[in-house]
Amino acid sequence: MRGTLVIYRRELAGLFLAPLGWVLLFLALFANGLFVYLLLDATRGDVGTVLRSALGGGTLFWALLVFLPPLLAMRMMAEESRTGTLEYLLTAPVSDGAVVVGKWLAATTFLGLLWGAVPVYGVLFQLQGASPDWGAVLASWLGAVLASGLFMSLGLLAATLSATPLLAAFLAFVACLGWLLLPTFGGQLLTAATGLLQGTSLAEVALPFLRSSLEGMDVLRHFHYSWRIGVLDTAEVAFFLSWPVLFLFITVRLLEARRWRG
Amino acid sequence: MIDVQNLTRRYGRHVAVDGVSFQVAQGEVVGLLGPNGAGKTTTMRILAGYLPATSAEVLEVAGHDVLRASLEVRKRIGYLPEAVPLYRELRVEEMLRFHGRLHGMDGARLRSRMGEVLERVGLTDRARQLVGNLSRGLRQRVGLAVALLPGPEVLILDEPTSGLDPLQRREVRDLVRELGAEHTVLVSSHILAEVEAMCPRVLVLTGGRLVADGSREELEARLGGRGAVRVEAVVGPDPEAARALMASLPGVERVELGERLGIHYTFRVHGEGDLREDVGALAATQGWALRELSFQSRSLEELFAHLVAGGDAQELEAAGAASPSGAAPAAEVQPDPAGASLTLELPQAPASSAGAPSERASAAPSPAPQPATGKRVIYSLNPFDRGAQRDLGAPVEVEDAPAPAIDEAGLTPPRPDAGEEPA
Repeated sequence: MRGTLVIYRRELAGLFLAPLGWVLLFLALFANGLFVYLLLDATRGDVGTVLRSALGGGTLFWALLVFLPPLLAMRMMAEESRTGTLEYLLTAPVSDGAVVVGKWLAATTFLGLLWGAVPVYGVLFQLQGASPDWGAVLASWLGAVLASGLFMSLGLLAATLSATPLLAAFLAFVACLGWLLLPTFGGQLLTAATGLLQGTSLAEVALPFLRSSLEGMDVLRHFHYSWRIGVLDTAEVAFFLSWPVLFLFITVRLLEARRWRG
Repeated sequence: MIDVQNLTRRYGRHVAVDGVSFQVAQGEVVGLLGPNGAGKTTTMRILAGYLPATSAEVLEVAGHDVLRASLEVRKRIGYLPEAVPLYRELRVEEMLRFHGRLHGMDGARLRSRMGEVLERVGLTDRARQLVGNLSRGLRQRVGLAVALLPGPEVLILDEPTSGLDPLQRREVRDLVRELGAEHTVLVSSHILAEVEAMCPRVLVLTGGRLVADGSREELEARLGGRGAVRVEAVVGPDPEAARALMASLPGVERVELGERLGIHYTFRVHGEGDLREDVGALAATQGWALRELSFQSRSLEELFAHLVAGGDAQELEAAGAASPSGAAPAAEVQPDPAGASLTLELPQAPASSAGAPSERASAAPSPAPQPATGKRVIYSLNPFDRGAQRDLGAPVEVEDAPAPAIDEAGLTPPRPDAGEEPA
């Protein structure tokens, strides 16, 4: 626990001490700010819609969630593995789990700070006389942080597969994108398959089961039916926390396997 | 402090470390020596708990099993990998603070300890600098400071002198030697001189196998490279005869004839202990004009080359008898069995050694005729000889002096049997 905290602080500081953190922060905030500005114009000042769209409702949010974690994961895993600091961390008197969890918490905090810009917009709207739905805004922010954690853990897992930074980032990107889009495309595939296999037992038992499984994994769906409408559902918290637990566990095992291979 | 039995590590099919066993006692400074790719880094990574061993009967560092109690081991060691991994974006003091916190140090204890290690590696005035802005040598020192910070029982330093300039190397060497007073140190290098300077005990790894373990003296003794007496003298026209004469001395195992330097010939006399006085006494009786008589211990460099070139433990066992590689024509004479008559059989130049004579012939173009030689008795050549295992009081017979060193042509008439059947 102590080790996790020490690593967390170091990693968070490391993100802000290196240019990458600032570049990502600048680009993401710029894009997000522009998005909010344009949307505010387009909706003729519908503050609630604008804030919800900036936190989980719009394409930009998910695009950032697919792009940013791979880059952060690349920096935290592949680059450290290349410069040897990962060897340093893994021979320090902290467990591998503490190292991975510390890194994950730091990256998630970084993304949380990034999404923190949206509530700040809300405050500005408030000062201008509008009245945002604060429950929905804060719940959305919490959901955004949790979703960031999920993608971050997936990114770390994928980035651990390669010690080459660029390849690690690419793998993490593919993993995040796949995770985001698989349920949608999978659902369409299943619909097509159901049409083809009409009447067979496969279509009646297996396919619906697959469909419900895919829907259960669907991040977008989970996000839209809870956080976005301002509902704080413990089942949703569990959903957004249990995946990271699994992914981080696998990441630790992968790190270990890497050492076995040498 | 470090106990390794039968450690093996494979990377797929490649065996990086093959059945290595050694122990390091508390307070020892041990050098891990070997060419690149010999398995030094792998061994150290395993000891530091970074790589798991493929198999090992015992693998303990600082009293804990590396695999089962990895964290306990990590708390007690300071490990400095070859690449000196440091966070370049941190300041020196921040790096140290981070490392201290990982080791559960805090507050005043951490501060005072940071001051101590910075002082020790001479970086007190660089504490505020960014690690990334430091030169390679200074970064190496930061790495050492980091490894030293928690006051580890065991220090594992992988190539701590690589990439440094000669002055920095010396600083690091001195530092490592000093550290031996407080820590058990395992340090690796592929450079002999480094290890020789830092470590009283050397482990030689090659091809993943431990081929030698011991102090420099032990290694030398095991390899039969106990050193030799170098003789440079005017010995007359036939150096071969002089060589045989020297080889006949008690305690001498073999004598190599070296190159000719003007009228002087050089010899290397191998045998037990320091044979300078014996050779000196012989020279006196023979009237050789000595120019040099010195004892030269065999350098670790030679031993290392020998070990690594052989690369085999069996080779090592046999190494004592084998002659070291030498460019000079080295005709060998096996010493007579103990107690045998010391009457000389002067070797026939063409018959006894096939390869060497052509060179020797050119060195001594006119093989002078052998003068009449008679046996002489020399008493107790060297009463203070430490290494000799013979009865020092017993008389020793040697051949009488051959022709005078500077042979005036024609003074000694050639004898018909000369060179054919002396004595």
